[in-house]
Amino acid sequence: MNKLAVNLNVNGRNYDLSVASNKTLLEVLRDQLDLPDTKYGCGTGECGACTVLIDGQVVNSCLTLAATADGKAITTAIGLEKDGQLHPVQEAFVEETAVQCGYCIPGMVIKTVGLLEQSPEPNEAEIRHWLEGNICRCTGYEKIVAAVKSASKKMTNAGVKAVG
Amino acid sequence: MSTRILSDFNLLIPETVDEALDILDRLQDKVTVISGGTDVLVAMKFKFETENAMSVAKLPGMDGLSFDPDKGLRVGARTTIAQLLNFPEVKKYYPAIWEAAVTFATPQIRNTATLVGNLLRGSPAGDGSCAVYALGGSMVFASKSGEREVDIDDLWVGYATTARKPNELAVELRIPAPSAGNINAFKRLTRVNEDLAKLNVAVSMTMNGDVCEDARVVMGCVAATLVRLKQAEALLKGAEINDESLAKMMSAVEAEITPIDDQRSTAEYRKMVSGVIVKRTIEQARQRA
Repeated sequence: MNKLAVNLNVNGRNYDLSVASNKTLLEVLRDQLDLPDTKYGCGTGECGACTVLIDGQVVNSCLTLAATADGKAITTAIGLEKDGQLHPVQEAFVEETAVQCGYCIPGMVIKTVGLLEQSPEPNEAEIRHWLEGNICRCTGYEKIVAAVKSASKKMTNAGVKAVG
Repeated sequence: MSTRILSDFNLLIPETVDEALDILDRLQDKVTVISGGTDVLVAMKFKFETENAMSVAKLPGMDGLSFDPDKGLRVGARTTIAQLLNFPEVKKYYPAIWEAAVTFATPQIRNTATLVGNLLRGSPAGDGSCAVYALGGSMVFASKSGEREVDIDDLWVGYATTARKPNELAVELRIPAPSAGNINAFKRLTRVNEDLAKLNVAVSMTMNGDVCEDARVVMGCVAATLVRLKQAEALLKGAEINDESLAKMMSAVEAEITPIDDQRSTAEYRKMVSGVIVKRTIEQARQRA
């Protein structure tokens, strides 16, 4: 094992860190930076609980070696809030009560932001195809899909971009 | 039971190709090359152990993706599945690759996994690999002694084993420009999209009206490597494509494959559906023409 120096910009804040070669980005976020909003689910890139944005792209942080994210900008669910205001996607999830146990929600919210960034007005088929790779064991997905639609409408009406 | 925690290894992140080639030359098969890492990191969380890993994350010149009407498609070693999906010439000239990309795992994996990595993994179930094998092409490897181009037909030498030498770095995939009259398509059978395929098929054919002048037919999940169905290809070549010739081709397919039972399907089922999936893939390609 070796340690590598990395610079990560996480939720707008710069961190100069020394990370172990075998640490995933997820482990560094949770254990080294004390940002537990990003969740560990399967550890193999199937459940999506660990989804973060790296330079605006949705990625499984459990399958990303932290050292290879050197110099990148990372956004986690908690970083979507701006000046005490929830992101419109977060608001939509609350308003549609798209949350039951909540474990998958940070990943779902980040995934939705990633979708609306590249496709601001997706239809339902597009939404469901995009949400593949994020598993929710409570909701049956109906309310999550409704929240994505509602967020899309809100943001289109307000002329807001997903990744601000 | 695995802990799903990565065991210790030494991580090298070279910033120049020369440096990367030096590392490979020095460590040979004691180093695992990581590009997207979506497959190898999962393997490392379970049973695969490696003393050293080398990431290509900081190597320059690996992100290329270009199309030239004469030279065809050039895909850099770090080009992701998502980048291929968003490249208009892929959808236009190589729909087989586009169709493999659109159902490739999940959006997160598509943003990370690379097509070159998919080929180098050497899985008999690789969707991207299946499409590329049908289209034909070559992989460019670099080493300290220069570059070597390996025809896609010679790339897979056994289960999860490729023709890459331990001191070589894959730098680019080259796929020829489509010939006049070329049609191609990809199709896969799964329970849900995120699953690996039970069976996948890609075809690339040169058509003159209804007559097939040349054909490459590839099937995955039915042998230790992806396989070209040579008998089916021979039956299609020179034939007018109609119900009769397709029926002949279908029975050849079933006889030509050697599938096994595994967690995703059975040998019996795979045999039973193999012919009709090839037929439907051909129909899918022809509908576009």
